[in-house]
Amino acid sequence: MGFSEAGRHSRMGDKPIWEQIGSSFIQHYYQLFDNDRTQLGAIYIDASCLTWEGQQFQGKAAIVEKLSSLPFQKIQHSITAQDHQPTPDSCIISMVVGQLKADEDPIMGFHQMFLLKNINDAWVCTNDMFRLALHNFG
Amino acid sequence: MSDAHVGPGVRYTPYANPTYRRRDSFHRGDQTRGNMERERKPPEGGMEGNRQEGTSRTWFKITIPFGIKYDEKWLLNLIQSQCSVPFNPIKFHYEKMQAQFFVENASTAFELKKVSGKICNEDNESISIFVSPSPVPYFEQKEQKSTKVKLIKKTKIKEYEVPQQALDLQRLHSDPDVMSHDIEMGPNLRNCMAVSPRIHEENMPKVKSEGELDKVKGLEPEEMCADRNPLCTTFPDKSTNISSILELFPKLLRLDDHEVPPSIIFGIEAYKKLPVCKGSVFGSETLKNLILQFLQQYYWIYDYGDRQGLLVAYHDEACFSLTIPFNSEDPAPSSLGEYSKGSRNMKKLKDSILRVQLLKHTKRDIVDFLSVLPKTQHDLSSFVVDMCVQTEKMLCFSVNGVFKEVEGICQARVCAFTRIFIATPASNSSLCIVNDQLSVRDASPTVTQGAFSTPVPIPSSSSVPTISQEQQEMVQAFSTQSGMSLQWPKKCLHDSNWDYTRASQIFRSVHSEVWEFRPTCNQGPTRPLHEVIHRPDNKNSKGAKVLAIFIILVVLPLFSGM
Repeated sequence: MGFSEAGRHSRMGDKPIWEQIGSSFIQHYYQLFDNDRTQLGAIYIDASCLTWEGQQFQGKAAIVEKLSSLPFQKIQHSITAQDHQPTPDSCIISMVVGQLKADEDPIMGFHQMFLLKNINDAWVCTNDMFRLALHNFG
Repeated sequence: MSDAHVGPGVRYTPYANPTYRRRDSFHRGDQTRGNMERERKPPEGGMEGNRQEGTSRTWFKITIPFGIKYDEKWLLNLIQSQCSVPFNPIKFHYEKMQAQFFVENASTAFELKKVSGKICNEDNESISIFVSPSPVPYFEQKEQKSTKVKLIKKTKIKEYEVPQQALDLQRLHSDPDVMSHDIEMGPNLRNCMAVSPRIHEENMPKVKSEGELDKVKGLEPEEMCADRNPLCTTFPDKSTNISSILELFPKLLRLDDHEVPPSIIFGIEAYKKLPVCKGSVFGSETLKNLILQFLQQYYWIYDYGDRQGLLVAYHDEACFSLTIPFNSEDPAPSSLGEYSKGSRNMKKLKDSILRVQLLKHTKRDIVDFLSVLPKTQHDLSSFVVDMCVQTEKMLCFSVNGVFKEVEGICQARVCAFTRIFIATPASNSSLCIVNDQLSVRDASPTVTQGAFSTPVPIPSSSSVPTISQEQQEMVQAFSTQSGMSLQWPKKCLHDSNWDYTRASQIFRSVHSEVWEFRPTCNQGPTRPLHEVIHRPDNKNSKGAKVLAIFIILVVLPLFSGM
């Protein structure tokens, strides 16, 4: 189904396919992250790139290592909003705004962007951008 | 790193299923202690057996984060190789992603803490060890419970005099009933005796050994006097004594009448600091300039010009979506929220939180929609840009920042936004937006205060003297032709000495030299999800291009400092 028709039906009730894929991915990602983030390797590929608070990590191994080595033991994400769009090259761009709580730290806002690509019938994340919503801008 | 750390024949594969770990005693996922317990032979003396006077059994929990990756034997050997005292790990188990065990005296715990960061795994990553005082573990409690109950009853009968705000530890210590039972004075006992953590000078205990010190561990004193008493520990020098005291009693505020400087307080808290926002990521200087130019122009039109001028920035089949999470019970909703309330696309997801998502397709729809959104003023100095993807055909970057609503009921309300652009590079270093995702939320009070601290150099109309009727008409005509608001044409005409022809000529001459927002990206790749129909580029008015050039002429000099 092309976007034009899909766009006209994108109201309450009818969920276009990129929204379905995007929201399933988001749900899966944060569930995995909160329970055992060392398992996140499955959703990245060797060409994936993570930009985490301004630092860049290339490749599945480096990304999982970065996420695994984050200095908290418990983490909980709460999604406030998510948004999905199809891109020109048949990828899906997903944006997430939410809050997280790590260990006993105060709750912090965050936003994250995922670029999803279909490779061999599986949706993987080729790009991941994470930022905390902090008050000391620039 | 020496090979001594690696066991012979043990291969460490962090991302594979661990094969060397004993499967029968290990389950991934949530584990309770019950599942994971390894029965260990209790140390000599035993839990049940009688204990010698003076030996302490103060419990400390030793935690190795991500210890689940390591084999128990390998890990314990590794730790022991660096630990200066032999230790007996009790009840080693894995809990979620950690490895944990207990040790039963303070000196050992202290030595183990020192090993943290000194040991590495096969990949040369350092292994941390966290040590924390532990209440009597449950497996001990079972043994002690019956004894404790008897003791509490007995001491209550004795009617200890408890001075206000003080506990006479000395008397407790000399109480044969208390001392004959090697019981940590946990919270239960404390409650029974209405003890406050502060210990007065006159009631300082005569502490003979660190072992005895352990006995009062559970009280977490805030003030202690160790130097008046012959304090002997296992350490030879005083400073180490003090360090060990401070480590064991992290809440201590005063020791030997000196205030404990905060830096001595160890603990995991030292690792937890609110991260500082890291700056933008561009990837290269060229990209940085390209993106910054794009953003400057985009937001100048967005904030001060006619937003119809943004048509040139979008691809014909571009997508735009707006997400506003807001609380319908919020007494002061933003204009966006007000606008969205009336929208047909409102989605009610939870009772009190409405999430609005609007998806627009085609540049005409997008720009029409943007044009009716409330007037804003973006704080460009607050922008943090992340370059996510850069290929030959695509640029994807996100912008985080703040803006102010400058009209309507919510004037001066500061909002935070995240905007993700996917754009295709076009000729002459321009960008053509194909995807635009905007998320707007209320800014926290701290953000609101910090925002707009850098004055935005807007050419105010006061810099141009009042103009005549004829000049007004010129401005109006120029504005109509260029699609810009009155402010800019006014300045441009003023600079051209109110020569309309000359002003237009300037635009036209510059038009051929300088970069323009030309959407040559209309010949972009096919998009099955979009069903793109190729259309020739004849939609954009000359005026819009002129507008873009004008912005460059005026904007760039003003932002030369960015």
